[in-house]
Amino acid sequence: MTQRFLSHADLAALVAAHRRVIAPVRAKDDARQTDYLPIRALADAALGAALPRRSLKEFFLPPTEVLLSYRQTKEGVEIKEVPTQAQPQVILFASPCDAAALEVVDKVMDWEYRDELWFGRREATTIVGLLCSSMDSSCFCSAIGLGPDSPRGSDVLLTPVEGGYLAQVITPKGEALLAHCAAREASAAAVAQAETARQQARKKVENNAPAIPDGFAAWLEENFDHPVWRTMALRCHGCGACAGVCPTCHCFDIVDEHDSSDEGVRRRNWDSCQTAKFTLQASGHNPRQGQSERFRQRIQHKFSIYPKRFGEILCTGCGRCCRVCAGGMDLPEILGGLIALAKKGQGESGQ
Amino acid sequence: MNIYQPHLMRIVEITDETVDTRTLKLEFKAPAMAREFQFCAGQFGEYSAFGEGESTFCIASSPTRQGYIECSFKSTGKVTQALRRLGVGDTVGFRGPYGNHFPIEEMKGHSVVFIAGGIGLAPVRCAIWNVLDLRDQYKDVTIVYGARTVGDLVYKRELEEWSRRADLRLCLAVDPGGETPHWKGEVARIPTAVEKAVTTAEDTYAVICGPPIMIKFTLPVLARLGFAPERIYTTLENRMKCGLGKCGRCNIGATYVCKDGPVFTAAEMGRMPQEF
Amino acid sequence: MKELQELAAKLLADGAVQVVLGYEEGPRGVRPAFITDPAQAGRLVFDARCVQNLATYLNPRRQHIVQLGKPAVVVKGCDARAIAGLVRERQIARESVVVIAVRCGGVLQRPEENAALSSETTAVRCAGCDAREPRLYDYILGELPPDPPVNASRAEQIAMLEKMTPAQRKGFWDEELSRCILCHACREACPMCFCVQCTAERALPQWIDPSPTLHASRAWQMMRVLHQAGRCVDCLECERACPEDIPLGLFARYISGAVEKRFGYKACDDPAAPAPLGVFSTEDGEEFIR
Repeated sequence: MTQRFLSHADLAALVAAHRRVIAPVRAKDDARQTDYLPIRALADAALGAALPRRSLKEFFLPPTEVLLSYRQTKEGVEIKEVPTQAQPQVILFASPCDAAALEVVDKVMDWEYRDELWFGRREATTIVGLLCSSMDSSCFCSAIGLGPDSPRGSDVLLTPVEGGYLAQVITPKGEALLAHCAAREASAAAVAQAETARQQARKKVENNAPAIPDGFAAWLEENFDHPVWRTMALRCHGCGACAGVCPTCHCFDIVDEHDSSDEGVRRRNWDSCQTAKFTLQASGHNPRQGQSERFRQRIQHKFSIYPKRFGEILCTGCGRCCRVCAGGMDLPEILGGLIALAKKGQGESGQ
Repeated sequence: MNIYQPHLMRIVEITDETVDTRTLKLEFKAPAMAREFQFCAGQFGEYSAFGEGESTFCIASSPTRQGYIECSFKSTGKVTQALRRLGVGDTVGFRGPYGNHFPIEEMKGHSVVFIAGGIGLAPVRCAIWNVLDLRDQYKDVTIVYGARTVGDLVYKRELEEWSRRADLRLCLAVDPGGETPHWKGEVARIPTAVEKAVTTAEDTYAVICGPPIMIKFTLPVLARLGFAPERIYTTLENRMKCGLGKCGRCNIGATYVCKDGPVFTAAEMGRMPQEF
Repeated sequence: MKELQELAAKLLADGAVQVVLGYEEGPRGVRPAFITDPAQAGRLVFDARCVQNLATYLNPRRQHIVQLGKPAVVVKGCDARAIAGLVRERQIARESVVVIAVRCGGVLQRPEENAALSSETTAVRCAGCDAREPRLYDYILGELPPDPPVNASRAEQIAMLEKMTPAQRKGFWDEELSRCILCHACREACPMCFCVQCTAERALPQWIDPSPTLHASRAWQMMRVLHQAGRCVDCLECERACPEDIPLGLFARYISGAVEKRFGYKACDDPAAPAPLGVFSTEDGEEFIR
């Protein structure tokens, strides 16, 4: 991995050279919070602040997007296609948990049928990650096998050092991004400084949650009917706020909407397995009748089903679900409990 | 191409099977698609009523018949009611074929028993015609079909046709109380009708589809007759949206109904969590 | 709070109830607790961080809670208004729940910060509270603390909204609602939103477009707030649940204020008090009714 040094001025010039740059920005309604938003200059970006409230997901899978528009005519129906090519953009100071999530979701988006809407945006985007400094007790990236310094999903990963950043070039896209700016060879001092910063960052999260053990996905599958699921989600409202803020939740609904009596659009919208109507059938039958079944699905999908299918956990440990939950559901706590059960080897008959 | 974009189809024929069940015969508007489209019995599609949405139905016609596809549906919701308002010549969208299929090839050289209840005949019908169109490649063919009442039986024209064929055994049944004065078939629920009509499991596959309660009580009958769970095939209908594995809605445990199914053996169903 | 823990243990041990809904310490501060074992009653706490309205868990749709058995629920005077509402609107029978009311000295706007109560940290909804001495209860616990410092920020916001022209007000709400992703967390967390099928979920006919566009978010929020008029108990669960930090409580409070002015009615903790939009009498002020 090539390592370069980027001064603050270098980075400011890089931002100025690109049409569309997205970075964490202080939220207007609450200065303690940040949101990923377009910036005009490097100075607009908020550094060392809280993890942005929403993940990067919305830049690749928007809360609502048009799949096609249609028009009824005398001859029948005309379909107007939507473009699948996107405008180039740079995402600056992406949190490693958010960058990694994109690669995780790539797997399902490419499963036999390639989702060109997702990949059009993925291909047009260069991601510059930043060593995370905003971790709190809800973060558990290291338990998933990632970390505040994970290069996964980033094209370039920045670590703050004196005078600027140590830039690790991870992909050819990252190389192309830095080719136009005056990035220099990194000094030995900068490399050492960066390594120390990364070690310190890792120490801050590594004890937040137990690491997901081998065989956990299989244990979850085998213990689908374990009594623990019945009382795990009593305080869960089934509101789906967790799915909205989650960088890896990608479930969606497809609906048609009229703009007028003969024109309209087909949209796909964010949806969540936590809502009652997610699996509700026209007959009125609902395979997941209650919140315990629906919450079980959330855990099973993320930690068993997706790993079985794609070899990846559908979670990057960002902790947003814990922070946003009005019912006090806490994923590290829940995972800790399940992992303890799995380790004890308790099966269906266990308490 | 955008995988969510449907093909445009023209409705060429409409048949009202029952008071609330309708069959549409559809042709592709694009000549190239009309020529090239292929699918396997058991696969499904997402059918659009533009402006109202998409709905999931199996392709009810056989792949041995080129140039058109058919679907049958009950008008239970927004989209199916909108599809019902369309007439011959109107446009419907179609995405597919999705999913897996019945083991039409594997069953060659063996006997097949088709068992269906109510509108459950629709997903099985594609396999029945597929087999009948290649009749000499199969041994005995038995069809056991029933519904709550005579009025609920679908594909009545074809039931007529099948009853006149010498190369298959047809057993029709309606539930007790569902018969009319002229009814000549059985008066019994499907599990009982199966017991009467099916005498052996030897060298035989079973293809079954119908309301969950019918399946629940018919599977033990088939087990008693000696059918191995690996040779009993059914098709599941979970709520589906994208049909191609991305929207996260249709899974039962680790099984995606739209990708691993909708056709499953009884053995596979037994291994799934009972969440459907 | 010892009194509370002992009462909970006793009710469970005697079999008077099968579950006590209360508050406990969680990894991120105070959260709802479901105690079914008397030996676990020591987990229960009560202090200024206990902002949640636990009455929302009495919703009969929450089957997995109903299955636990007869509940006792720990409430502040304001939460009791929701219980009264559920009884008034025939969602639960009064005898089906044991109400453990605790005298309240105000709660924090941001319980995760665990600060002392001040004019900046007290919850906005505590301003003008008349329910610190609860009136709906089977058991009443605790000493009545002094009035909490008043946080006037919401009153100021409402005054600001009232001074705006309709166009300005629309601009304000459009900006806030542009973040709405129609996740309906506000509805799921609300104790008074108990409809088995919400109007927004109906497809036949489809009253509200399901896609999160501004016009749909406006329609959804306006509809929900209007359905809450005269019924909202101002617990702010909607605002806490919203993942987009939209000031939904402000919206609801504005409408509640309008109901107060028009009908002289505030959602109250007396199940027998008739709801203004739920009954009619020949003494009603409107001409068209006569």
